[in-house]
Amino acid sequence: MGKQRLKSVWVYHVDAGSCNGCDIEVLDVISPYYDLERLGVKVVPNPRHADALLITGPLTRQTRISLKKTYEAMPPKPRIVVAIGTCASSGGIFYNSYALYNTSPQRGRDRLRSGGPEMIVPIDMYIPGCPPSPEEILYGISQLLGIREKKMKGEYWYALPPEERARRESEIEFKIPDRPIPLRYWLTLREELRRVVGYFDRDAVLEDFMTLVGKAFEDEKPREKLHDLVTGYFLKEKDSRVGFAMRFLENEFWRLVDEYLEWGEALREKYPVTAGV
Amino acid sequence: MAETVPYSEKLKKWDRMESGKFGGKAPVTTLYPFVDVEKPPEYRGIPHINPEKCVGCGACVNACPPDALIMEWDKEHGVKRLTYNAARCIRCARCIEVCPTGAMEPTTRFEIASNSKEDLVEVVEHKLAYCEECGEYLDFTERQIEYVKNILPKDVFDLYSLEDRMKLTQEEKMRKTVVTLRETEGNVYPAFVLVGESTKEKGGEE
Repeated sequence: MGKQRLKSVWVYHVDAGSCNGCDIEVLDVISPYYDLERLGVKVVPNPRHADALLITGPLTRQTRISLKKTYEAMPPKPRIVVAIGTCASSGGIFYNSYALYNTSPQRGRDRLRSGGPEMIVPIDMYIPGCPPSPEEILYGISQLLGIREKKMKGEYWYALPPEERARRESEIEFKIPDRPIPLRYWLTLREELRRVVGYFDRDAVLEDFMTLVGKAFEDEKPREKLHDLVTGYFLKEKDSRVGFAMRFLENEFWRLVDEYLEWGEALREKYPVTAGV
Repeated sequence: MAETVPYSEKLKKWDRMESGKFGGKAPVTTLYPFVDVEKPPEYRGIPHINPEKCVGCGACVNACPPDALIMEWDKEHGVKRLTYNAARCIRCARCIEVCPTGAMEPTTRFEIASNSKEDLVEVVEHKLAYCEECGEYLDFTERQIEYVKNILPKDVFDLYSLEDRMKLTQEEKMRKTVVTLRETEGNVYPAFVLVGESTKEKGGEE
């Protein structure tokens, strides 16, 4: 693409076997709310008029020839190629399908996850997303036009074993967060909570519950104190699902505590001597 | 947080029309590339690996449908790498759902377009545990051992004397079991005899 300053870019949109999700987002970007044309970008019906190519789709074998011909029909000077969507960036979820044209040596399992239209045309801007929201496409194109800066950066972390201390910035020490209850209770509660409020909200709800438990165990009677605290939370919370989840957590927590106590005693009765086998 | 703001209140912070930026009245067209905007808190941006919490168990690798997360093994150097590439990620959040430590974190980050794929890669390198008796690296990392130590109660460790056996390979564990059995009971068939009999029986049934 070179280093020239781009002003008004005319684009041509190619569908290389997309599922139409990304195509609809490209339509969205042209709509009045996300108006792409105020940046000087215009969608043209002919590749011979276009400065840039918007590709969606994972490059199927059927579309390979037409994409190549479209690319060759473009005027040679800027010849910008923008890959829109996860499929166009790397093959996406279809990356190892028999219907795709993928000549990468490891069939798309290398570190860069090569696949998609980059097999036959050089790509100047990757906009991943399945589909990318209109803001993401706006960001990618405004980055091409020099309005916004690049924000992503490749990261390489060294995860240190538990005892070692970090000496460089990229070395990260191991930390298990401090919680008022043992880790096995926390893990079980987290899995049970997924069935009640789903995976997305569970961490925030469980964090609230941990603070309540921490307060309850400072008191002499933790059971009664925890019940009071959860009832207070229930009254304050407007979303009844979160209140219900807290009730559920309270019952489940005391059930776990009783059960583990029982199992511990049963184990001690069954195996009085530890043989080490 | 439990005292001050209820959880459902916290989700309402996001203002879609960004009306504060335009003096109370939002225009039809968003001013996005020229002003900063935020996505709603439920928005599925790319996930992020928190290297403080990650133990390298590979649950996310099994769950990932498009193989955006891949585990690379390097047993010679005693290292395994968890590589994440946002260019392959479809934001299904399955990795966040299955992660046992909460190391996979959802973000609302959406400004991820870039001109090279190197910027989209995130790698976490883990050290494998080392069996000093065999001189081989194990399949799991030292962080996994530490995490298991925190999960299981102390009684179970004492009962099966797990502390000594944790950093051994499977073969070494079997060898140790046979040795202890011989010491305690005195008169036990060698392990290879037992293995031979069981395979013969299975062959006959088929």
